[in-house]
Amino acid sequence: MDRNKICKWLKNPGKMAHKYSFHVVYFCTGCGIIEIPPFITARWDAERFGIIPVATPRQASLFLITGYVSTKTLKAIIRTYEQMPEPKYTVALGSCPINGGMYYDSYNTITSLDKYIPVDGYIAGCMPRPEAIFIGVTHLWKLIDMDKADGYQRYREDYVHYRANQEQLYGKMDWPPLFSEENI
Amino acid sequence: MQISEIILSSLLALIIGIFFLGLARKIMARIHWRYGPPITQPVIDIIRMFSQKGISHGSIFNFGLIFSLTGSFVVILFLPFGKMCPLSSGGLLVILYLMLLAPLGIALSSGEAANPNSSIGVSRKFLLALGYEVPLLLILLAVMTHYHTISLIEIVRIQANTGWSFGSLPLVLSGIAYFLILPAILGIRPFEISGAAQEISSGPKVEFGGKFLAFSTIQHALHEFIGISLFVNLFLGGWDLFGILEPISNTVWGIILGIIIFLIKMVIIFVIEIFINAVFPRFRIEQAMKYLWKWPTLLSFIGLLIVVLFN
Amino acid sequence: MMNELKQKLLSDFNDIEVNIPEDNRMIVSTKKESVLSILIYLKKLGYNHLALVSCNDWIDDNEFELIYIISAYQKNDEQYQDIEKSSIIVKTRISREKAKFITIIDIFENAEPYEREIHEMFGINFEGHPRLTPLMLERNYKIPPFRKDFDTNKYVENTFGKIPSIKERKEGNK
Repeated sequence: MDRNKICKWLKNPGKMAHKYSFHVVYFCTGCGIIEIPPFITARWDAERFGIIPVATPRQASLFLITGYVSTKTLKAIIRTYEQMPEPKYTVALGSCPINGGMYYDSYNTITSLDKYIPVDGYIAGCMPRPEAIFIGVTHLWKLIDMDKADGYQRYREDYVHYRANQEQLYGKMDWPPLFSEENI
Repeated sequence: MQISEIILSSLLALIIGIFFLGLARKIMARIHWRYGPPITQPVIDIIRMFSQKGISHGSIFNFGLIFSLTGSFVVILFLPFGKMCPLSSGGLLVILYLMLLAPLGIALSSGEAANPNSSIGVSRKFLLALGYEVPLLLILLAVMTHYHTISLIEIVRIQANTGWSFGSLPLVLSGIAYFLILPAILGIRPFEISGAAQEISSGPKVEFGGKFLAFSTIQHALHEFIGISLFVNLFLGGWDLFGILEPISNTVWGIILGIIIFLIKMVIIFVIEIFINAVFPRFRIEQAMKYLWKWPTLLSFIGLLIVVLFN
Repeated sequence: MMNELKQKLLSDFNDIEVNIPEDNRMIVSTKKESVLSILIYLKKLGYNHLALVSCNDWIDDNEFELIYIISAYQKNDEQYQDIEKSSIIVKTRISREKAKFITIIDIFENAEPYEREIHEMFGINFEGHPRLTPLMLERNYKIPPFRKDFDTNKYVENTFGKIPSIKERKEGNK
């Protein structure tokens, strides 16, 4: 470690630690589930970056959406996202969360994930290779350095609009709003 | 003098415990033919966990975790680390009682979490503790009878004069039995039953997030430290190496060399345990209980008989 | 072997068309009133495994076509030797306006989820089915989604496209 890095660590250890230790929620949607096991096993080892999958969202800090999102899965994704402790980051793999991808005209899949939960970055591809996922992780490091990976803060500030979007999609929702006016 | 010993002993145990966590992940990765995280990865993890805002489920949730962490820290004070042993009254009996505070604290906080996964994990943890306490008690009885003392410092001092107890004839079977139940005490595979990530969503830790998870990781590191340090003190001679440190035992150099030799023994035993961890799958709880109450109990019972007849 | 079966079927039923496209495959097209009796007849001959119940939408003819694929995997009768590897497709046509049919659960019990899916996706009502609740979808659609007059692009535009992005909502509020 050179002097630059040591200074960064001493100035803001929390931010540097967030970069080098991502615990990923093991929530596998869509087609990208087939690209996650090569990503975390011996050939393209993700553990050298500090990325390790954990079993529950309460212990995690990174949420990987790996493919298309149907309306049933979106309910589970919203509930899982709201259980993660802050600060948390979301990365979407594939082209389906960006604009619908291959399922752009399907009666059951949503076309843009950013309207419902905040997404920090997208990794394009159908599905991206593990090398592309690594490049995406290093881009996320840069965003965290520049303080631009603020998806969770956007969710907190604009929660009224996110909730309005979710309610426009589903009608009545089964769970109450996460942030009310008192505890924002 | 004693205050400095208390602080130094706790700090060193914390650092060594966390180093062992990192060493475990690195060695497992190398066995899998991949690179693995840096050895300081648990430190980065703990710093990150402290900077996250976890969710608390109530006051007993917080209290249980602090209770288990305190229990582990207090046991560390009773174990001789090198030549330092800050608290020494009661010796082995106190250690045996205080070792059960840690699972009790975890049970309190996971009961408050109200998650069925954590209830299953805690019940399996206690069953496993029941499983290894029986042979552990017989082994400790054998050691205490052979040396006619309950103080751990005395046991280490006698071993410095007469050789390791693992090598002395009456205590060989007890040593082998302790080595057979050591994976169960440490909580590594094949006995990684209560913290199983894939089966029960990491058991009692399922609702821990943020700083609670950091405390839980620290408690796990300390628990591993206690298991190995007890083995090294009882059977492998503690801080001495065939009596060569006896002449300089009270100088500063003696203390430092004693700590270094103690750490080398602990690292060797830990690496052997990591090799066992890499090879085995997990037992089910009934298979684990059947194993723990069969051969190790038998060996430790025969060892106790041999010690009684020998004396 | 299939030819003998074809002769048998042609002699026992009227208003039926049988053709054999390749070895061990047979396609039987019939009227909707004789489907049940043909299925019972074939089941007695050893074809007692229902593989699939499917549906086709012939919007130009204004008809639905129900397709039953059955196969035999147990030796039942000494006359038919290679009976393990053959499968038969039974097709009927029903009207598209009042789409209803009778369930075949009494003959093949495992038709229950297939008919449930066809009811959900095509809108065909099966009389006698114990549980015609939605299987996979969780929204209500005015036209069942697998029909050919369900415009997917228009549906996506109206449902998912009308939801504004967060930026647009914030600017709209101001």
